[in-house]
Amino acid sequence: MRTLPTGQYLPGHSFLHRLDARAKLLCLFLLMAAVIGAPSLWGYALVLAVVALLILLSGLPLRSAVAPVRGVYLFLLVIWLMNALFFDGEDVLFSWGIIQLTRGGMEQGFRVAANVVLVLILGNLLTMTTLPTQVAAALASLTKPLARVGVPTEEVGMIISVAIQFIPTLLEEAELIKMAQTARGARFESKKLVERATSLLPLVVPIFVSAFRRAEELALAMEARGYRYARNRTKRQANPLALADYLALAVCALICLAQFFVRR
Amino acid sequence: MSKMSPVKCTVITGVCIGLCVVLPMAFHAIPNGGTLFSPMHIPVLLCGLICGWAYGLLCGLAGPLLSALLTGMPPMQYLPAMLVELGTYGLMCGLLFSLVRTKKLYTDLYISLVVGLLAGRIVAGIAQALLFFGGRYTLALWLTSYFVRTWPGMVTHLILVPAVVAALIKAKLVPERYPAE
Repeated sequence: MRTLPTGQYLPGHSFLHRLDARAKLLCLFLLMAAVIGAPSLWGYALVLAVVALLILLSGLPLRSAVAPVRGVYLFLLVIWLMNALFFDGEDVLFSWGIIQLTRGGMEQGFRVAANVVLVLILGNLLTMTTLPTQVAAALASLTKPLARVGVPTEEVGMIISVAIQFIPTLLEEAELIKMAQTARGARFESKKLVERATSLLPLVVPIFVSAFRRAEELALAMEARGYRYARNRTKRQANPLALADYLALAVCALICLAQFFVRR
Repeated sequence: MSKMSPVKCTVITGVCIGLCVVLPMAFHAIPNGGTLFSPMHIPVLLCGLICGWAYGLLCGLAGPLLSALLTGMPPMQYLPAMLVELGTYGLMCGLLFSLVRTKKLYTDLYISLVVGLLAGRIVAGIAQALLFFGGRYTLALWLTSYFVRTWPGMVTHLILVPAVVAALIKAKLVPERYPAE
């Protein structure tokens, strides 16, 4: 239960709360592209500044806004260390046995960790300021052209929003299960392939059972509240985007372009 | 496994796509875990087997895409081939599992898995040869990249996926395929 508040919608009247869900979703994609395309430390600094500004504009407490990261920071630290110490690079800073600390590995680890942190916070800001039904409706609305070729866009929208909301919870659970199995003597770092493969069984099976249990609970809750089949749902006509939505989109597009120009 | 409601299939597919992002991160903490055991394939295969071919196909396409966007794994240059491979896994496993009914759960599972895994590799190889490599793709390269280098992953999938399905049935999270009379 302690993971429930992460990504849960918090009602409010902030600038982010008032933006149209379609605009917020498009802005999220643009900012995600800006994160992934960040060419250097300055690129990440720019996105970090934007994320900080968005947290201010959302009116959410900082603790809630960065909650998904607090749950996975140890895991990200391990990812960074694995990249830094085992990356196959040329610029070796320190070497001892199979361990070699490389500048390329440190950069690669930083990139992976920074991408996950920034995208998790951005996704969290979206889900905390937008009702899940609005996110699903926005996804369905944006992918509407695909419905003409028979793609069930409403369902796809719902599936993707469930996936995004579940990632922080699944990360936490995977980390907990891994630590629990290590404490019970699982040898993930063994050099013997068979031993390493066998050690995966007690890691993967509980992750799936736990994830499916959560899925079952969510499906039951959705059905109890009358959710049946996405394509049979009725919805009111979507309002056109307002000036503030277009402005937000323009700013996010500019940030994306800025990353491109920094690259040059 | 056809008794599940569409809502449950929708949510399970969402969770499996989430696991496509999370599992590779968990496996990358194990030295060479990602390359050796192809962890992203596991939720896709399971989604196809449990929810059906349409959900499996969606999971096979959306899982690697979301993972590449969030974590950079797989790198963008490998993404198109992985989309083809994983999409085929989800599609074929789901299709075969709904068609093959031998009255023995494990036989159904292994037939669907083995044929699905082979079909995914063949379709991905054809896509590499015709679309992504433009004629520079050789049989030796296909055999090396899809069989020689990934055999630990294949063996792991053949052990893990039936074990997970059995655990889910035992936990009553997935309906039994052949309930006892």
